[in-house]
Amino acid sequence: MNTLDANRREFLKTSGTALAGAAVLPGFLDGIVRKASGPVPLADTATQIISDCAWCGSACGMKATVSGGVLTFVEGLPEDIQGGGKMCAKGKAATGYLYDPDRLKYPMKRTNPVKGVGVDAGWVRITWDEALDLATAKLKETIEKNGRDSVMILGLASPDVWARFQNCIGTSNRFDHWDECFLANRVVSANVIGGFVWGHDFANAKYIVTFGWDVVGKAKVVWARAVTDAKKKGAKIVSFNPYKAAGTSVVADEAISIRPGSDLAVVNAMIHVILAENLYDKAFVEGLTNFPQYETEIRAHFAPYTPEWAEALSDVPAETITRIAREFATNGPAIAPIHKKTPSANYANGSETTFAITILNVLAGTIDRPGGRFFPRTHTIPGIDAIVPPPAYPAKSGVDIVGRHRHPFLKAVGSGMFSCLADGLRKNPGKIQMGIITRYSTMAFPNPPEVEAELKKIPFTVVCDIFPNEIIELADVVLPSALYLEVSDLVARDHHAPYKMTVVRQPVVPPQFETKPLGSILLAWGLKAFPEYWKNPDGTPINMGYVLDEKTKRAGLGANFAEMKAKGFVKEVAPFVPRTSFPTASGKINIYVKAFADAGFEPLPTWKQKRDVPSSQYPFYLLTIIPPMHIRNTTENNRITNEIKGTNEVFINVQTARGLGISEGDTIKVRSRVGEIQVPARLTEAIRPDCVLVPHGFGHQSRLMTAAYGKGAKDAILVPGQSMDDILARKDVGGAACIMDAVVSIAKI
Amino acid sequence: MSTYGFLVDLGLCISCSACEAACKTWNNVPTGRNVRWRRVIDQVLGVWPKVTTYGVSMACNHCADAPCVKACPSGALTVRTKDGIVLLDKTKCIGCRYCESVCPYGAPQYDATEKKMSKCTMCVDRIDAGKEPACVDTCPTGALQFGKLVDIDHEGVKQIPNFAEPSYTNPSIRFVPKEG
Repeated sequence: MNTLDANRREFLKTSGTALAGAAVLPGFLDGIVRKASGPVPLADTATQIISDCAWCGSACGMKATVSGGVLTFVEGLPEDIQGGGKMCAKGKAATGYLYDPDRLKYPMKRTNPVKGVGVDAGWVRITWDEALDLATAKLKETIEKNGRDSVMILGLASPDVWARFQNCIGTSNRFDHWDECFLANRVVSANVIGGFVWGHDFANAKYIVTFGWDVVGKAKVVWARAVTDAKKKGAKIVSFNPYKAAGTSVVADEAISIRPGSDLAVVNAMIHVILAENLYDKAFVEGLTNFPQYETEIRAHFAPYTPEWAEALSDVPAETITRIAREFATNGPAIAPIHKKTPSANYANGSETTFAITILNVLAGTIDRPGGRFFPRTHTIPGIDAIVPPPAYPAKSGVDIVGRHRHPFLKAVGSGMFSCLADGLRKNPGKIQMGIITRYSTMAFPNPPEVEAELKKIPFTVVCDIFPNEIIELADVVLPSALYLEVSDLVARDHHAPYKMTVVRQPVVPPQFETKPLGSILLAWGLKAFPEYWKNPDGTPINMGYVLDEKTKRAGLGANFAEMKAKGFVKEVAPFVPRTSFPTASGKINIYVKAFADAGFEPLPTWKQKRDVPSSQYPFYLLTIIPPMHIRNTTENNRITNEIKGTNEVFINVQTARGLGISEGDTIKVRSRVGEIQVPARLTEAIRPDCVLVPHGFGHQSRLMTAAYGKGAKDAILVPGQSMDDILARKDVGGAACIMDAVVSIAKI
Repeated sequence: MSTYGFLVDLGLCISCSACEAACKTWNNVPTGRNVRWRRVIDQVLGVWPKVTTYGVSMACNHCADAPCVKACPSGALTVRTKDGIVLLDKTKCIGCRYCESVCPYGAPQYDATEKKMSKCTMCVDRIDAGKEPACVDTCPTGALQFGKLVDIDHEGVKQIPNFAEPSYTNPSIRFVPKEG
């Protein structure tokens, strides 16, 4: 029974303990959000609103039950095949975000000039006008005095309103987390198959092989359902993972323990077998790829990568590699999914691994085929610039502090490089005079203390966020953003989109406190800072409602947004017509990528070792996972998901632990070449003896996140950052962030 | 035999805890008190490298011979006559925790704030409205299923490793064991 009073007491109690010494925000205690008490009324006694969940890109359609203006429950939207009526723990816990007492509620400014994570900023509440006037004055002054590139943006290049605002600023110093995610995959996919795809038609696959990307354990419903559906239909699932309790290994027919960072060796050996025995899909490979043109080079390249060679590197028996390769090639449709993590960002050989796995799918003939990786069929929703064309934007220098411009393929994508940010800031002292950061925590970087040390030197930083994570403590002005449950948008499907589908995002409750949707914030800020870009030709401010109506109309979803809200979900079921040409320059898939060779990179996936390998000083591979009920270093403060898993530990193989005199629950010092953390030991038989695993997302240091604060430790402290020099030196075509590329020692305290 | 029961397919449970979050929100179970009607228990059987791993989603098993009901001195725990669902009437609960001590499954949990017990209702309100329990409704893989016990009985086994001897309480739960 969380009544208003109980909430208030709870909050006061936590402020008395965890917040000792920190100023309570003025106005922090007024208007504590109402929370329902007692059982949820059944849907027929309450209003159900169709919207969607925003915790991952799948954005499962959902029905929100609202009773007396209070959100009480969310459930899946059965007609949406992303979730199929199911939702994961993150999505189910919606009320926990909406009614989180720690939410950023009002615009605030810092009064303590001393910045640092864990240092009380002395926040005072200010009005939106004050906040945006202050931010505008600083922005104009910074651009005028130090140039556009002295403003650094940490944020995605989307949504469209955000892109417009960034283009008004005109800086080339925009960075995001893509290199820690799927940047390598994006570069490889663009050059091999012509574009990046999210779509994996697991449900129609008969053979599924995963390398490190724990597609099931991530608990994205769209894929967890599809893989298990395939399993029910008799598909064979093979999971290569050093951790046998990973979700995909749990449901797999074969869970194969592999040496971390050696996936590339196994995949190259599988390709070796498939080529040597001519098991590839001949019609597909000979008709739709450049294999005929480069057959000699391709065969010669993979000839040395024998299963015996791979066994020595991976500990996977040669006969197992040979058997899986044959099964994969002859039991189609077969799919080896790639999205992120191991295939993309975990290790220094992530780009090559992604490249090799992509080729594996090409050889199976399942690119854009049922049971394979496929291009989404989506509604085209125009951006704000198409609806209200802006005046010409200022030209960008194209030069950034990280050095993306030095790398032909990273320059072309223009995203990512969190892994190099600390290095870039260090090498360009004083260059960045203002920071604008949206929805990122310092926990999202390798070696967070190193990044925090640099970020706090930036004279003025504006943070726009929903929850008070660590980055807030480095901000000068905070703009409280609304949650997905309080905003309007159109969300076209791309994760599993064999036909066109779009779901509405609409407020299930109005924005709480003084939070505003990002679009409204940027419009208000834009009108102050760059008015000519945020007005119609007649001088009136752009009307975001009109923009949304136009998007709806031009995408063919309805006459206006109100109609889309009433519909909730639009799908145009149509037969899946497989592509016969691909969006590459030639229209064919490039197994051999000449563009890579022309730029001085390897045209085919060439074996290289991961960056950090075990030594006598650091004998263990570090592994990490994001627990399935958490995402984005954010959900740990949700009272519901925090209770399910609120802290972390280090998983150690039982035999390994015994050898070191470690017992269950002992405090363990985990140390790498760049940092050290202390976490309790959890002994398990499910992990390789030469690996230890520390789940990610814990160790929050922001005192304002009262549920998550001080619980657990940051695995990222153990992970070294890198520089563009490192990426260029290893000829890494996709700039893998090496977010799991660390080795550690463990010792009982 | 109770009318309804849970069927847990161990080969499909990925320990995602969607069932836990669904339970908490539907039943509005307070957070921060470690009262979790449904929990996923991770199992690792065997010795590396020959290990079998799976999650077991576990809540109240609404036993046909419910020891909690027998132990309750205040009449707070009762069995619904029409279908055997075991329910707790908080107004009658005196917080003596006898039920907690006799349940092999950790189903009745003590809420230290209210000084009363708290437990899974099988989402009796949803069942009465013709819906499945919230946990089952959201399970992404179909690992957690719900149905009439007579139907489930033949689908699975009564006992798996580390699960209490079922003849003690006759729980309304069946398991599809994991192969391997």
